[in-house]
Amino acid sequence: MWGLLAAQVTPWPFQQPASSCASNRDRRFLIRMSTSKRQSFEEEALPHLDTVYRVALRLAGSETLAEDLTQDTMLKAFRSWSQYREGTNARAWLLTILRNTFINEYRKMRRRGPTLDVSEIEPYTVFHEITDVDPSGSFFDRIVDDEVLRAIDALPDEFRETLVLSDIEGLSYAEIATMTNVPVGTVKSRLFRARQALQRRLYDYAVEMGYIPARETPDDT
Amino acid sequence: MTHEPRMIDCSEVLDRLYEFLDGELTPEREAEVKAHLVACAPCTSLSGFEASFIRFLEIRTRARKTPDSLRKKLLAQLLAQPDS
Repeated sequence: MWGLLAAQVTPWPFQQPASSCASNRDRRFLIRMSTSKRQSFEEEALPHLDTVYRVALRLAGSETLAEDLTQDTMLKAFRSWSQYREGTNARAWLLTILRNTFINEYRKMRRRGPTLDVSEIEPYTVFHEITDVDPSGSFFDRIVDDEVLRAIDALPDEFRETLVLSDIEGLSYAEIATMTNVPVGTVKSRLFRARQALQRRLYDYAVEMGYIPARETPDDT
Repeated sequence: MTHEPRMIDCSEVLDRLYEFLDGELTPEREAEVKAHLVACAPCTSLSGFEASFIRFLEIRTRARKTPDSLRKKLLAQLLAQPDS
């Protein structure tokens, strides 16, 4: 898309055919050497724009703030593109810039609602409560997207960040650990507690909405 | 020569379940969890539930794309930056 837009505004030096005498390897080298910063950014960074926007949305908590955060992140990335090593992990590099920008400039502006308490969650209790009535968890399918996003947004910052990077964007534990400056063990435990807390909140919502019957306790008659 | 995976109990499987579902275990540890799941119906059922939940989260949250207006604004700003 950008290439098309850019072509109308500025010439692209590497859209010219390479010399017919050059081998493929030479051609690749020539192209790499003469690729403009803008073209290289377009090829390596811009494909991750949706990822940057989605993570920004969950970190910032509102569309307006997320749009500003996305723009700031991508402009900073472009200005410091010379520090990026071509062919390495552009997505992780962009998300690190996003995270630092959020912490330093945006976190204080985030509107805060009620926060889920992740410390009191017992592991796998939701499964044990639904195992007789809906062991496959099909009731989750009836929950609207907005409620899922509200539940994610209610997680404490460090748990929300870990869950978003893992479950929405598919980063590995090691990538998340590097990006968030914590040991891999901390990533594991944050992810575990975030998923369990989210599951609990969505289960409680499903019970409240009548999507699944509440489990009878021994006191019920 | 291949070795039989070490037998592990349910509590070890529960400790490692998310790492297993996230593809974060070594091949050896993964084989241990798989061997347990084949023989243990309750753990298999829990594993299926947790896997569905992770898939559900991904499906419900990955659909968001950058709004066109933001994409256009950003591209214009990037084009205004010096290309060197």
